[in-house]
Amino acid sequence: MANIRRQDDSIEPPVSSLIDVVFLLIIFFIVTANMDEEVLDMTIKLAQAKYVDPVKKKDPRAISINVKASGDINIATQPLSLTDLHHILASTVNQVGNDVPIVVRADALTKFNEIDKIIEIVGKSGLYRIKLSALSTKN
Amino acid sequence: MAKRLRDEQSGEPPMSSMIDVVFLLLIYFIVTFKDVIPEAHMAVNLPSPSAAQTTEEEPPDLLDIEVHPNQYILKGTPQSLESIKKTLQYLGELDPDMTVMVKTNVAAYNKELIALLDLCKGSGLTKLNVVTLK
Repeated sequence: MANIRRQDDSIEPPVSSLIDVVFLLIIFFIVTANMDEEVLDMTIKLAQAKYVDPVKKKDPRAISINVKASGDINIATQPLSLTDLHHILASTVNQVGNDVPIVVRADALTKFNEIDKIIEIVGKSGLYRIKLSALSTKN
Repeated sequence: MAKRLRDEQSGEPPMSSMIDVVFLLLIYFIVTFKDVIPEAHMAVNLPSPSAAQTTEEEPPDLLDIEVHPNQYILKGTPQSLESIKKTLQYLGELDPDMTVMVKTNVAAYNKELIALLDLCKGSGLTKLNVVTLK
């Protein structure tokens, strides 16, 4: 009986090594986690840009407007109508100023008509810094 | 259970509970991990509201390109993206301060506009104006 128990003990996994690996993994995820990262609509397939460098540091004031291929818009995955968007941008101008960058994250298959509606509202709200977002494939 | 009791009796920290917590943390971080999307932002200038009312002629250093569905028109001539690329590269070396007026058809896809803006940026032309063709 004692012999069997010794054999069972000897085939236990090396727990301390396992914990070391798990702690290393946790440290990796904590270090790479970006807690203040904005919520992006991952359903949007951005158009590809071969020659433009990816943005290294985003302006924290920037407002990203997601435009789906269907023309539906949202900010941080919260669906909005064009009227809601106008109210949000107008209040942003009142509170922060008109130099807040607006990033339009439109799907590659969005018709320009839908983007034009947003550009028009951005202009009406008094904002002028507008950027079109693309997926950078530049190495 | 027997091992846990043995650990507690011997005064060692409760390793099995700690491992449970550690694994929960690991699962949390794995689930919430998001890969960084390398996004490029292309700044474009909006047309000034007063610009439509002026009747001034276009300045000479203005390049006019139209974006239509499956078609690009450079100075009134339909061209492929490849031939526009060559022209843009030549102009970019000649005068990087040249303003590019991108007139986009409402029926064109975003990817067609982005492809052109990307070429302009890649050619060193950074003054990009986007206007709408209705």
